[in-house]
Amino acid sequence: MTVAGQRRGDLFAGLFAAMGGPCEILLEGCDEASALRLVELAAAETRRIEHKLSRYRDDGAVHAINAAGGAPVRVDDETARLLDLAASCHALSGGRFDVTSGILRRAWAFDGGDRLPSRGRVKALLPLVGWEKVAWRHPEITLPAGMEIDLGGLGKEYAADRAAELLAAAAPAAALVNLGGDLRATAPRSDGAAWRVGVEDPGREDHAERILEMKTGGLATSGDARRFLMRDGVRYGHLLNPRTGWPVRGAPRAVTVAAPTCTEAGVLATVAMLHGRDAEAFLAGQGVASWCRR
Amino acid sequence: MAATSRTYRSIRGALSAACALAGVGGVATSRATEVETAILGYTEPNRVSALETALQARHDFGSGRLANFKVVYDALTGASASGAVPSAAVQTFTRPSGRGGYTTAPGETPLDNTFRDARVAVSGGTTLPLGRLSTVSAGLYGSGEHDYMSLGANASVSRDFDRRNRTLSAGLSFSRDTVTPEGGRPIPFAAMAPVGADQPRLAGDGSKDVADAMLGLVQVIDRATLVQVTYSLSRVTGYQTDPYKLVSVVDPTSGAPVDQLFEHRPDARTKHILFGRVKRHLPHGVADLSYRFMTDDWGLVSHTVELRDRVALGGGGKYLQPHLRWYRQSAADFYARWLLDGAALPDHATADYRLGEFGAWTFGLEHGRDLGRDHRLTARVEYYRQSGDGHPAGAPGDLASFDLFPVVDAWIFQVGYSFGS
Repeated sequence: MTVAGQRRGDLFAGLFAAMGGPCEILLEGCDEASALRLVELAAAETRRIEHKLSRYRDDGAVHAINAAGGAPVRVDDETARLLDLAASCHALSGGRFDVTSGILRRAWAFDGGDRLPSRGRVKALLPLVGWEKVAWRHPEITLPAGMEIDLGGLGKEYAADRAAELLAAAAPAAALVNLGGDLRATAPRSDGAAWRVGVEDPGREDHAERILEMKTGGLATSGDARRFLMRDGVRYGHLLNPRTGWPVRGAPRAVTVAAPTCTEAGVLATVAMLHGRDAEAFLAGQGVASWCRR
Repeated sequence: MAATSRTYRSIRGALSAACALAGVGGVATSRATEVETAILGYTEPNRVSALETALQARHDFGSGRLANFKVVYDALTGASASGAVPSAAVQTFTRPSGRGGYTTAPGETPLDNTFRDARVAVSGGTTLPLGRLSTVSAGLYGSGEHDYMSLGANASVSRDFDRRNRTLSAGLSFSRDTVTPEGGRPIPFAAMAPVGADQPRLAGDGSKDVADAMLGLVQVIDRATLVQVTYSLSRVTGYQTDPYKLVSVVDPTSGAPVDQLFEHRPDARTKHILFGRVKRHLPHGVADLSYRFMTDDWGLVSHTVELRDRVALGGGGKYLQPHLRWYRQSAADFYARWLLDGAALPDHATADYRLGEFGAWTFGLEHGRDLGRDHRLTARVEYYRQSGDGHPAGAPGDLASFDLFPVVDAWIFQVGYSFGS
């Protein structure tokens, strides 16, 4: 397991790569040897979840569901719980949060260019989008042939929570998990202070870091300043409306939410983005701390 | 690109429940509001029974700001020992109101069976942060029953040290209690008048002031162990006599009661209380051992040792918690089971068994479990047994053959239900 570590004041910082980006674990009150063991524990958990949810690894649970060609697939308990969560998010967001919408990426290439897909191309994909078309009866899922699910929209945040919960049980003091900007702290610093973390601000195209302060719980950001299309002065962000197949209009560049868990924060941030112009109004009703960048 | 004024319903609660089902959020997602309810039954067979209902609510406004509120209603019925000694003859006592009386059979401990009361107590308080490491708390308290009222206020500050491994706290509280006994306050040491005759009374209500000061230390020893030490000083001034309690004056030879006098206690009392506790997480659950020492200028010294051992039973927040309590106290200097006829009256005297020398054991068992994510049920049963010297040395005449300190047995049942959101 490739993890690296360094002492940073009274903290130990462990670094590894997973979930398509840099990950960092901050630990209090550990000597170097035990800190590295804890970082390895968190890294192993993160990679285990990444593996399971990967659409590309042919031994992962999600791959098995997508490759079944219309046949029912019985899933393990953890995947089943995530599918239950995906179903709840779909219902709670009025159909906006949809783990079947990833297939629309076949039509859209958010590479900063100006190539919009043809309306026909998008329309042809729409029959393959919609959680309501999925037969999900715990623990068995049946996707109509040609449809795919992508749990990537939950996976990174879920992994941050799982890794943090492992550390909460195993570490001698407080710990912070940062999986590419999705954060979960097990407890405030032992002196009661907040954790200070530098995360790349996805709302800014110069990749500047922003310093975030959090005491405990989860913090997640939705949005990516580099994944968009610009055509005729209109910016098309990468979040797609599963009903139209087109980017949500008027969405903020990025939304950051603080919630008791990283998973809740991530879902709220994504659903806020999917509300487009109403992102702030949606967040105002949720009673959580949040920041929108437009 | 102004946001519209449309308002959106909150999905946060449902989402957080969905996340909990997905296996995240198992670690304390703090509840903003928590409500606890409990019903408690207390019964001393053939003596007092009490039924208490309590409702407590706590709200966390975030950033260390808390508020709490509690209301308790209890109803007491039954008979309690009046302090008078048993006699070889039938004894007749006047009810506190002066209207009517009750009799006690030969050899029986006189019990005043007019005991019936309902009490309502309300308290509320708030805790606020004071800088980064300190908090202040303040609260108000009031309770009332038909012959007793208590009003109080308290305030405390606490501060964390040593990377929050040590907390020091200091507090003060004051209360004023007013007793307006049935029929008025009898003149201390006045003999109980027969039914229909005038009982000499003190003018006005009785009141007492209670002032408490507390200093506390909580120290985290290691990840699994916590130690707490508290010292309290309590000063009570004013009317502390129990207007319903009697002391029998007996014949020095036969031991037969010749008079029943109303008791008389000093009007000042200073108590010192030292309390220590060790709480330790063990592989099976949590053990909690405490010791309390109390001494006062009434000559009373007491020791309490208490052990609770919470044993976790698998998932669902299920636990079983045995409880063991040992208590021992010496008698107050002016405790007298009887007074001798013809001897000079002491300055003060009481025959209230609660100020006598006795020991007590409590055995209890509590069970708790979660009902869903935010609901919790607890049930507790306890047995209490108190015993003292029923045959004290020097009991004259007949008294030597009576049990002058009958055992008190009590059962306590409690069911609690709490929920939060």
